[in-house]
Amino acid sequence: MIAKSLRDYRRALIWWTIGISAFLTLYLSIYENVRQDPATFNAQAMAKFPGALRDLMGGMGDLSVGAGYLQSVVYQLFVPMLFIVCATLLAHRAIAQPEEAGTLELVVTLPVDRQRLVLQRFVALAVALLAVAVVTFGVVWAVGESVQIGVPFDRMLAAQTGVFLLGLFCGTVALTVGAATGRKTIASAVVGVWVVAGYVVVTVGRSVEAISWLKWVSPFHYYTEGRPLYEGLPVGDYLVLAGATAVLVLTAVLAFDRRDIGV
Amino acid sequence: MTAVVQAEGLTKYYGKRRGLEDLTLEIQPGEIFGYLGPNGAGKTTTIRLLLDVIRPTRGLVRVLGADPREPAIRSRIGYLPGELALEGRDRARDYLRFLGRVRGGVPDARIDALAERFDADLSVPMRKLSKGNKQKVGLIQAFMHEPEFLILDEPTGGLDPLVQQEFLALVREVRTSGRTVLMSSHVLAEVESVSDRVGIVRAGRLVAVENVAALREKAVRRVELHFESPVPRAAFEDLPGVRDLRVEGASVSCTIDGRPDALIKAAARFTVVHLVSAEPDLEEIFLTYYSDEERHHDRQESA
Ligand SMILES: Nc1ncnc2c1ncn2[C@@H]1O[C@H](COP(=O)(O)OP(=O)(O)O)[C@@H](O)[C@H]1O
Ligand SMILES: [Mg+2]
Repeated sequence: MIAKSLRDYRRALIWWTIGISAFLTLYLSIYENVRQDPATFNAQAMAKFPGALRDLMGGMGDLSVGAGYLQSVVYQLFVPMLFIVCATLLAHRAIAQPEEAGTLELVVTLPVDRQRLVLQRFVALAVALLAVAVVTFGVVWAVGESVQIGVPFDRMLAAQTGVFLLGLFCGTVALTVGAATGRKTIASAVVGVWVVAGYVVVTVGRSVEAISWLKWVSPFHYYTEGRPLYEGLPVGDYLVLAGATAVLVLTAVLAFDRRDIGV
Repeated sequence: MTAVVQAEGLTKYYGKRRGLEDLTLEIQPGEIFGYLGPNGAGKTTTIRLLLDVIRPTRGLVRVLGADPREPAIRSRIGYLPGELALEGRDRARDYLRFLGRVRGGVPDARIDALAERFDADLSVPMRKLSKGNKQKVGLIQAFMHEPEFLILDEPTGGLDPLVQQEFLALVREVRTSGRTVLMSSHVLAEVESVSDRVGIVRAGRLVAVENVAALREKAVRRVELHFESPVPRAAFEDLPGVRDLRVEGASVSCTIDGRPDALIKAAARFTVVHLVSAEPDLEEIFLTYYSDEERHHDRQESA
């Protein structure tokens, strides 16, 4: 069952990997120029991103330093968002999409326990996302080396692990809502709202008293707070992400086991 | 022997909408059961309940002696959904193989043999299959693991007559091997030739279950006999079951209720040159029979 899901995802996975890799290569290769002329570039960046926008970009550290550049340009917004969208689309294919298309009906009448079916679909999602994360990590590392980004291997690996966990968490949100409701749009909406609100809360909202406490329910809090590129693997934060994912999977299993399919 | 299907007071509501109300039914091993009813009667609802796709609001259901929730029994069932959806880039053959593996293994040769009988092209990606071909793939997957119990929701929809014949032949083979079939349809004509019993659902209720052979016996049949020379009317008058008798010279026409035995014996005294007997329209009988019954029922209720 897992192998079958992965085979179905194959094409999408290849395209996502190519897309994310292209993005990474493009942005990392600009670093070469930045490093050679840091003053102009920093000034340009400051001009391009005024106050609030800069907050939205996570404050933007010194772009001429490898870690700062990598954080602001790659790991702050764009790559996590690409992973989240990729994970959400893959997660739809677990339950909601086949249910809406009507193909799930035959699958649930196979001699496979429903709980097990959800678990298998989750494992397929995790493996697929891991594959994208591993390949794109190879690309970040290789291109980073070639432009002398100067970030140690373990720090980069820590950051990439965070992207993977964040993507997996958001994908699992989509999978769980899909398993509970059978509707793609509801699942997408929940992920969308959670992600956008969560991101705003930890960036622009961090200085706003009234909403700053919301960071505890923002997945981005556990993703960026530990500053993995500077300080290495934030074990505690990542465990929270992984634990939340596990709780969601359990919810998905129980919800799917209880309801009518295709109504 | 435990019944293949055992339903007691089985009821399903979709929110406030009624899907099925208080179904009590037993289907015995080796039986071909035709499940009839107009669209929206509750056939698909019943079938989905048997397969644990949806869960009953009330009532009890057991399939092959077990709770439908038990995954293991589902490998002994073959299911053709009423609205079969097949998608993706997978070739039909690969998808069938996948289903076969999950159900515990199906030899490729069996898939090929079925494909040949239905004249189905399995090298086509599923999303490119025409409606008729999808239905063929659906039938192949339902039959291919030789299940003890086949549940077919409107199996003949979208099939051309030749394939329909092949399908009915396959159902007969299933009966010969002692296996059980539940098939739904909205026309009796499609299932009467293979069914042992038929049940009729209307507006969520099972209103009748009849033995098809018994129904045939009850059937009114129009018969025409042509003789070599004119025959006396008296020879055919007052025969049991014979009605609407018309004798015109050398030809006799009438309708018979049930067995034609008396008429045949009476005719045998003369030289018969030609005999025409129209197949009874079971559907018509069935419907008049049960609309009478309903009227009767209504009268009782209003009384
Ligand atoms: N998913 C659903 N939601 C609400 N009502 C439904 C649903 N599926 C079926 N029904 C209702 O249940 C009744 C029985 O439907 P169904 O079992 O599909 O009939 P059949 O298969 O005999 O055509 C119909 O009145 C139909 O409108
Ligand atoms: Mg139906």
